[in-house]
Amino acid sequence: MNHGQQSGEAKHEDDAALTEFLASLMDYTPTIPDDLVEHYLAQSGFQCPDVRLIRLGAVATQKFVADVASDALQHCKARPAPVVKDKKQQKDKRLILTMEDLSKALREYCVNVKHPEYFADSPSTGIDPATREE
Amino acid sequence: MNKKRRRKARVNSEAPDDQSAAEFSFSLTRVAVSQICLSVGYTSTDTSSTLNTLTLITTKFLQSIAELAASFSNSANRTEANLFDIVNGLQDTALSTSDCFPGGSTLHNTESHCLIKSAVLRNLSDFVASAFEIPFAKPLPRLETSGSHGGDSTRMARSPEMRSFPAWLPPFPDSSLYLEPYTKERSDHLWENSDSVIGRETFVETSGVRSSGRLPLRRASVRFKMGRDCSNGGGSCKSDTRLERRRDDNDGEYGREFEAKKKIGEEYIYCADIDAGEWNM
Repeated sequence: MNHGQQSGEAKHEDDAALTEFLASLMDYTPTIPDDLVEHYLAQSGFQCPDVRLIRLGAVATQKFVADVASDALQHCKARPAPVVKDKKQQKDKRLILTMEDLSKALREYCVNVKHPEYFADSPSTGIDPATREE
Repeated sequence: MNKKRRRKARVNSEAPDDQSAAEFSFSLTRVAVSQICLSVGYTSTDTSSTLNTLTLITTKFLQSIAELAASFSNSANRTEANLFDIVNGLQDTALSTSDCFPGGSTLHNTESHCLIKSAVLRNLSDFVASAFEIPFAKPLPRLETSGSHGGDSTRMARSPEMRSFPAWLPPFPDSSLYLEPYTKERSDHLWENSDSVIGRETFVETSGVRSSGRLPLRRASVRFKMGRDCSNGGGSCKSDTRLERRRDDNDGEYGREFEAKKKIGEEYIYCADIDAGEWNM
């Protein structure tokens, strides 16, 4: 009996927390506009009249981009800094998003973004002639 | 060569709207992604391809969530997705990362159906509570689309006669687009009122109420004459000399048969009481 009451209370608390979270979504303005999110969701067949679910998708996307950008920033900061000649350059250190950092960050999210190291004219370019004949 | 150029021009003119809409939405997404990167701490990107790549991945992420949620709703015999569908979609998308793996089994628990125990929603709630709001750079004008109303809390109320149609179908177009207004006078254009019809006055009188071009079931026989008639305003009266020459040559049966098929001026003979079996020549 007590276990059932406790589970009921826990469920009530969880429901209250969920309701509070959905209500907070209406107060929070995501960076990606609702119309834009609605456009992309509708393109893929998602249809829902509730604005809170649209906001949920927008917040999830914003969090995803923020996590990827922060991981890339960590990779950028972890890179050893180059030798600075002028003091002015040291002060005005700008954090630049590079493809290298972005690809490292996206690898953790199972997204493969890789630059080819070089471009060849044909698949056999650069191969030893002896092995090419084989 | 000219035909090929014309074909290419036609192909290019057919899909500029779709391309422009996709480019517009992509550019808006790029602005939002750049704002998020600025909030994280970045000041610039090395090349435009980096930002474009991140923007493309953002759009793919959104579309993947939508596809998963739509598939969950469709497998439950629903067309509209609900919170359970989108949370399941987020859980499946986040399976690759170790942060959001815990709590996934509670989504499918038939006893509790508690969503907040999912790590995905917990992380999102923490993000909403802690992260600063970054509104979009410029306000977007809200366009009234005739398409789906997904996400619009103030849905257009359908009229009582339209309630039989499912709500997820797009609304009907404005009636002015498909209803033809009968405003212009058509008396000058009706063939019955032309000079080719002998006794048209009686025909008009007996017709009674104008039936907008429809023939009544019982009608008087119509007599009409064939020949050059330039009294009608507007149209040019061209006589087919070739046909007339033939008529002059063959005055016999061929001529009469041909006469029945001849076109008078620019007007065709539709039906002159053929049901009555009379051709009053």
